Amino acid sequence: MSAALRLDGVGFSYGAVAALCDVSFDVAAGERVALLGRNGAGKTTLVRLVAGLLHPNAGTVWVGDWDTGGRAPEELARRVGSLFQHADQQLFARTVREDVSFGPRALGLPAHEVRRRTEEALEALALGGHATQHPYDLPPALRKLAALAGALALEPIVLVLDEPTAGLDRALRAQVADALREHAERGAALLVVTHDLAFAAETLDRGIVLDGGRLAYDEPLAALLTSAERLKPLGLVPPTVAALSVALDLPGRPVRERDAAHTLARVAGGGPGL
Amino acid sequence: MRTLHPFTLLAVAAALPALAWILPAPGGGLATLLVALSLTLTPGASPGPAGTGISRSWRPGLVVFRTALFTAAPFWLFLLLLHDVRTTVAIGLRISTMVASFVWLAAVLAPDRLVEATVARGWSVTAAYLFAATLSAVPVLKARARRIVEAQRCRGLSPRGSVANRFRALRALALPLVLSALHEVDERTLALESRGLVSGARRTSLAPPPDRVVERVVRWGLLLLCLAALVRRLA
Amino acid sequence: MTPLALEEVTFWYPATETPALRDVALEVAAGEIVALVGKVGAGASTLLLVAADLAPRVTGGRLAGAVRRRARSGIVLPTPWTQLSGMAFTVWDEVAFGPANLGWPGHEIARHVDHALERLEIVSLAARDPVTLSGGELQRVIVAGLLAMDPDLMLLDEPTAELDPAGARSVWRLLRLLAGEGKAIVVATSELDAVPDVADQVVWLDDGAVRAIGTPQLLAEDAACDDGLGTTVARIWRAAGLAPPYPLTVADAVRRWP
Ligand SMILES: Nc1ncnc2c1ncn2[C@@H]1O[C@H](COP(=O)(O)OP(=O)(O)OP(=O)(O)O)[C@@H](O)[C@H]1O
Ligand SMILES: [Mg+2]
Repeated sequence: MSAALRLDGVGFSYGAVAALCDVSFDVAAGERVALLGRNGAGKTTLVRLVAGLLHPNAGTVWVGDWDTGGRAPEELARRVGSLFQHADQQLFARTVREDVSFGPRALGLPAHEVRRRTEEALEALALGGHATQHPYDLPPALRKLAALAGALALEPIVLVLDEPTAGLDRALRAQVADALREHAERGAALLVVTHDLAFAAETLDRGIVLDGGRLAYDEPLAALLTSAERLKPLGLVPPTVAALSVALDLPGRPVRERDAAHTLARVAGGGPGL
Repeated sequence: MRTLHPFTLLAVAAALPALAWILPAPGGGLATLLVALSLTLTPGASPGPAGTGISRSWRPGLVVFRTALFTAAPFWLFLLLLHDVRTTVAIGLRISTMVASFVWLAAVLAPDRLVEATVARGWSVTAAYLFAATLSAVPVLKARARRIVEAQRCRGLSPRGSVANRFRALRALALPLVLSALHEVDERTLALESRGLVSGARRTSLAPPPDRVVERVVRWGLLLLCLAALVRRLA
Repeated sequence: MTPLALEEVTFWYPATETPALRDVALEVAAGEIVALVGKVGAGASTLLLVAADLAPRVTGGRLAGAVRRRARSGIVLPTPWTQLSGMAFTVWDEVAFGPANLGWPGHEIARHVDHALERLEIVSLAARDPVTLSGGELQRVIVAGLLAMDPDLMLLDEPTAELDPAGARSVWRLLRLLAGEGKAIVVATSELDAVPDVADQVVWLDDGAVRAIGTPQLLAEDAACDDGLGTTVARIWRAAGLAPPYPLTVADAVRRWP
């Protein structure tokens, strides 16, 4: 099966600043991948390359069988949905609903399809109550959700999201996690840039770590997140659940809250409370 | 060019349009336009004013030159619709001088240096900031427009292709541009206040731009030149 | 003298009828870190704007009650990319923007700017154009800009949202250090697991009102866990059906574990 997203020896520099160097990996349909790394590692640059806002200096970015090199962002929008790190720079309509429906309308979809997608995306992120508000009237966290809804409404085969949970509270994070899982189950490939390793552990399966623009690790997240020594030089710290598993020496080293609670209950001899 | 004192840059950008209107048409306008356009081509017209989202996209030479031409072009069209050829040429040259001078100014005038210079002259910080921000409004707006267009393209709107397509894209851009500019005013005020830019602040001049004697002479010279031209014209 | 005291503060944004804050009373002492926690929209950001004297003075709106501020304050807004001065070509000048507005002598400014850049680990970015920075680099610059102004009352809204985990840790450590130097600090954060090691006092905001004030131990109580405000360790403990009181942090859990 061909990959939904493939990077093949990708390099990119901003003038003299080399941001990415020889990065290669595949993401299959339905796969949920975290893109991690310290500040300035090149994650946002990679997102912009996949969205077609930048073009690689070296190598190729493939979205399905499309080489993004020769394609404009508006063409790629048929396959790629993206969330920017500063999401309020991504909102431009008068109401949240209008903003979410912008993509489907611009793609020229029939009215009923536009409506279905818009309402589904709003519902998936529980934005129904804010649909008629101006995006700028929302707190920054909800603006982020509105922009994410706009990307989901494209129903793309690849979702590239830059820091979808920054500043979100627990309930909203869970909402985002559910929406992403659902899109992955429907076959979307997820590439999620995040510093929120707890969110990554709960929602995603595979971790790709960039360091100084190069690929440092590409492996199952659970193994990566429980290894403090390997994370440290990359500017990363094990999230709480992983740290707890290691500190209490929980069997199987769970990295998700629910798994940790089950294991803890079992080890302590009580019944699971979840 | 960026090493010139901000007031000198302002003086040049003001004197050219003034002369364009004062001197007899079409020769005067043609001369000033040529000067203004050649200024846009000077390599010194380099990095754009720093500001929200503008980086080095405002490049020296051709880009500034092209921007000046593109901005001036529509005026010619309107003039031609309203006037005969002679008047169109006369006024068109003058307006083009104004446009080219302003575009050049926006490209070379670093707002931070302007603030420093005006504060050094005893202006209040807030007034100085407002003045500088007004002069750098065009590139800031341009950067914001670019961001909105990027976001819209990522959602499938094509700004290219047929005239109808371009028109649609332009319409989709106009309103968000205005609204986000209004919104940004609020945000900006909050940000600047939070960074200590309050009225009555006595700002320390970090690196006041040096004002050389030659530059003072040039500025006075320009003023005298304009006055002389005016007197001649009226006499 | 407390650097900040809010007495029964109620605040309405312009053209709204429901207040964003209701009857909030709060005191922050020098050398103390207060963490504001709550759901999105609970009022933490508004409280910081009020504490910074930006609301209602700049934002507009209406305030009832009294705000007493006996210290110079500085704030980091939750959207760092909007907080750039727009007047600086280099990171160094950007960080110096605030101190310069305070009218300090040049050498004082330089000392504070250099120190702030060091503390945020961004010395190597000093000559960069701020508009080309990555998200986290920019957030560090804005925090450095606050530090360089050396305010006695520091107000921070989600200061670690875009930092890498190691960077977030060092900012939290830095805040402890600053509190040790006598600063009063109020920080709104959704990073609940960081709170126990950082905060002296936790203020739980709910729908604009103070639901509870206490030590970080608050975040291990059932009520907080029910509202999504428990720390991860407390939540796991509780979900495992183990008896309260729940441990707050991994270190607590290890101590509790047989
Ligand atoms: N327009 C630009 N010009 C010059 N350098 C840039 C530009 N944009 C980014 N960079 C640099 O490229 C590197 C990678 O930036 P990028 O934004 O991809 O980082 P990131 O991994 O997303 O970081 P963060 O976690 O802080 O968001 C950084 O060192 C950054 O300073
Ligand atoms: Mg980034």
